[in-house]
Amino acid sequence: MTTLNRSQETSKRASVARESALSVKWARRREVAQEVFRNPLTVLGLIIIGLFFLMALAAPLLTEANTPDPYQSPRDWSNISVPPGEAGHVLGTDATGGDVLYGIIWGSRLSLQLSLTVVGFTLVFGTIVGSIAAMRGGRLDNLLMRVVDVFLSIPELIFALAIAAVLGPSFRNIILALAAVFWVKYARIVRGEIIRIKQAEYVAAAKVTGDSTWNIYRKDVLPNAVSPLVVQATLDMGNVVLIGATLSFIGLAQAGLTEWGAMVSAGQSGLLAGEWWLSTFAGLAIVLWALAFNLVGDGLRDVLDPKTEGR
Amino acid sequence: MQVRDYLIRRLLLLPFIMLGVSIVVFTLTRFTGSPIGIYATPNMTPAELAVLEARYLLDQPIPVQYAAWLGGLLQGDLGWSGVSVAPVTAIIGSKITATLELAIAAGLIAILGGIALGTIAGVRRNKAPDHAARLFSILGASTPTFWFGLLLLVPFYLWLDWFPLGRSTAIIFDSIAHPTGLYTLDAVLAGSPTALLDAIRHLILPAVVLAFGAMAIIVRMMRSSMVEAMSEEYVDAARSKGLAESIVIKRHARRNALVPTTTVIGLSFGFLLQGSVAVELIFRWPGLGQWVTSAILAGDQATIMSYVLVTAVIFMSVNLAVDIAYAYLDRRVVLG
Repeated sequence: MTTLNRSQETSKRASVARESALSVKWARRREVAQEVFRNPLTVLGLIIIGLFFLMALAAPLLTEANTPDPYQSPRDWSNISVPPGEAGHVLGTDATGGDVLYGIIWGSRLSLQLSLTVVGFTLVFGTIVGSIAAMRGGRLDNLLMRVVDVFLSIPELIFALAIAAVLGPSFRNIILALAAVFWVKYARIVRGEIIRIKQAEYVAAAKVTGDSTWNIYRKDVLPNAVSPLVVQATLDMGNVVLIGATLSFIGLAQAGLTEWGAMVSAGQSGLLAGEWWLSTFAGLAIVLWALAFNLVGDGLRDVLDPKTEGR
Repeated sequence: MQVRDYLIRRLLLLPFIMLGVSIVVFTLTRFTGSPIGIYATPNMTPAELAVLEARYLLDQPIPVQYAAWLGGLLQGDLGWSGVSVAPVTAIIGSKITATLELAIAAGLIAILGGIALGTIAGVRRNKAPDHAARLFSILGASTPTFWFGLLLLVPFYLWLDWFPLGRSTAIIFDSIAHPTGLYTLDAVLAGSPTALLDAIRHLILPAVVLAFGAMAIIVRMMRSSMVEAMSEEYVDAARSKGLAESIVIKRHARRNALVPTTTVIGLSFGFLLQGSVAVELIFRWPGLGQWVTSAILAGDQATIMSYVLVTAVIFMSVNLAVDIAYAYLDRRVVLG
């Protein structure tokens, strides 16, 4: 009877501790948000990201969608390779009369689709693999980490390039290829974090209360491993678009797609003939996108992981 | 001791990881079904197809096919390159040296430039050079290599015509022997200033473009470890001994800051390999990257997979070398 009371008492205390920890957590979150917004470069990054998201969402309102495929610029055959500002084309047209501004706007949708799909999937999948490895330990951990080693021994872009090449040229296959490659980093980060966290006192305390492994993982371990994942995921939102653009620049997306890398590629010969606008504007869109996520990622890292401040 | 054990463990694991890479690559070649299409012609009869399948063991179970493929691989048989119309092994040597020359040149620019810029930024923290270095490193991480290459191509190739495309001027290239395959080195060995100048003129622009992203990583790491080192007690101690500031920076702070920076050099070499694909395509550099892009457009799987295998071997070797260097540097720091 007394043992039962004692264990009830302990679990009650643990739940009280958890509640107060929860309020601390919210206070900490507010603090983090305030600190993040104090950095002007982070705010600049957030504004650029916001504008890109708006552009992607409002694409059909900003320009009339081309039929049947909105991801192919409408052709204005009477105005081929027109410089910016002429014949109603704000950013000019390409060699087949495609409007550059239209391509940039609809290209932002493809970038958003690519980055959200790849980062979303790889974050979840990598977290699952890393968690299983770290929570289970032993042989399974060893096996999973050797798989991770194999994946890490091929540079990301080259691995994705090989997969996309085997699957055949299309934007969907670029997404699949990147998803197959990018999860590894998350698995590694999560595993490292969990192994570190498992040694913490509060995890030992939670074990004493007799909580199940799943509950400890869910309530005590995973929430504490989130910070480096958030930073990595933010940086990857930019990275995957950079690598995706490289793959479509090489020729792994379907022809004529309003994807920024493919547009830079299509503008290459024009660039050497003095028609600078297509490659320049499409390239600028990629740089801005990647820059914005790098700024925010760096800002988050400074706040969430002060050890590496300014790296 | 611990470091040596770690390195031995790494060395022992290497063949297993390589085996893993070979499985991944083989799986990719079988991803879209049987590769019989490479050998078959449209008007073959089913009987002829069966003969062909039997010849290349494609009628065997997958593990048997893998074993045969791996056996060939270990004997240096990487298959038939459709785009080069020759066995992969006959072509790959010249491609590797071209890419290595480009990557080494870019790596030197990135390492030397990155360390210099990172040191200045770390010493003059929050001053103009520091802001410039931070801008540089974030732009380097955000700019696609292929776009940066095109941007530089317009003024330096199109307008000024300073740097030609390709790897060499054919007549000059053929005028010297090529014992190493690295054109600049061959020119020096042949004692030909004309060839050396030709090699450098061709090399400089793609190398600078390729170096940008890798240098950004090194600048960033060097800056932050320099900031950290400058606040250490041994720097104060060195200063209080009355040493000149430049000696304090060079001998004490920078030497220690270099240790963590070595770790990102391996990582940034991965960026050089990745970047070389687009850079070689833009600058018509006849290396692995240009080879693989033409193979992709032609659907030439043997070439693509050989490329992945070779890149993985290069990347792992560099990382291992960096690990050894790090262990050595780190030990010296602990001891000294």
